[in-house]
Amino acid sequence: MRLYIGGAYQGQLELARSENPGAPVIEDFHERVREALLRGEDALAFARRVCEEQPEAVVVANEVGCGIVPMDAGERAYREAAGRALCELARQAKTVTRVVCGIGVRIK
Amino acid sequence: MTILVTGGSCSGKSSFAERLMARLDGAPRIYLATLRAQDAESRARVARHRAQRAQGGYRTVECPMDLQGAPVEAGASVLLEDLPNLLANEMFDGGDWTRIGGALAGLAGRCANLVIVTGDVFADGARYEESTEAYRAALARLGAQAAAMADAVYEVVAGIPVCVKGEEACVLFTRC
Repeated sequence: MRLYIGGAYQGQLELARSENPGAPVIEDFHERVREALLRGEDALAFARRVCEEQPEAVVVANEVGCGIVPMDAGERAYREAAGRALCELARQAKTVTRVVCGIGVRIK
Repeated sequence: MTILVTGGSCSGKSSFAERLMARLDGAPRIYLATLRAQDAESRARVARHRAQRAQGGYRTVECPMDLQGAPVEAGASVLLEDLPNLLANEMFDGGDWTRIGGALAGLAGRCANLVIVTGDVFADGARYEESTEAYRAALARLGAQAAAMADAVYEVVAGIPVCVKGEEACVLFTRC
């Protein structure tokens, strides 16, 4: 699994596609985490399941933790879940690329 | 050595900071805890951090405010976790946040090693009410001050430490 992350609209999806032609791409992984939470699935378990079931996938996600902690408990829980799920994906990923203004920086 | 660790929420900052501490000498090893556990959510967070550092041989010192008064002996290795909580307590709970800067410098001067955890609350594009903006500005200033005096600065991204200052010092810890 290869992971591409960055702030919103930083070009991580385009870069992931261009660097991995033909590979299956999981877009907006942070939104998949939100859906998992709504299903009642644990975020870490979800991340592990993605790694196990789709080891050749290219996962694209936004970083969502760089703001003021939300007042709303549900939003707080989502940010935590997204952060921890990304840590787990990054731990298992072959490569992690962080995209800033369309430029990829390989951090793993 | 003074090391600053920043990153978004739940990016793996604490666990990286603890791995750094395990590589640093200095005795005793002190954990300066700033989070006031007032509800179930913060109690769960405290419990998770405690479990994480159970093996580290830390002496935990509760320090929600008044950093300069924290009992830290010369030569200690200190993990300060974290600036955002300390600032919130000083700013919104009747303290004086302007004393934090001096306290950080004093602490860096007398510790063998100091690892400071701060947080990135600056990139969500939202506008907040005045007191929250004042808080963000103050945290940014403290972060910049800590970074200026630090030997190394890391941003932790999805659990991966990215060196933003102090290449030489960072090389020592790349496998942390």
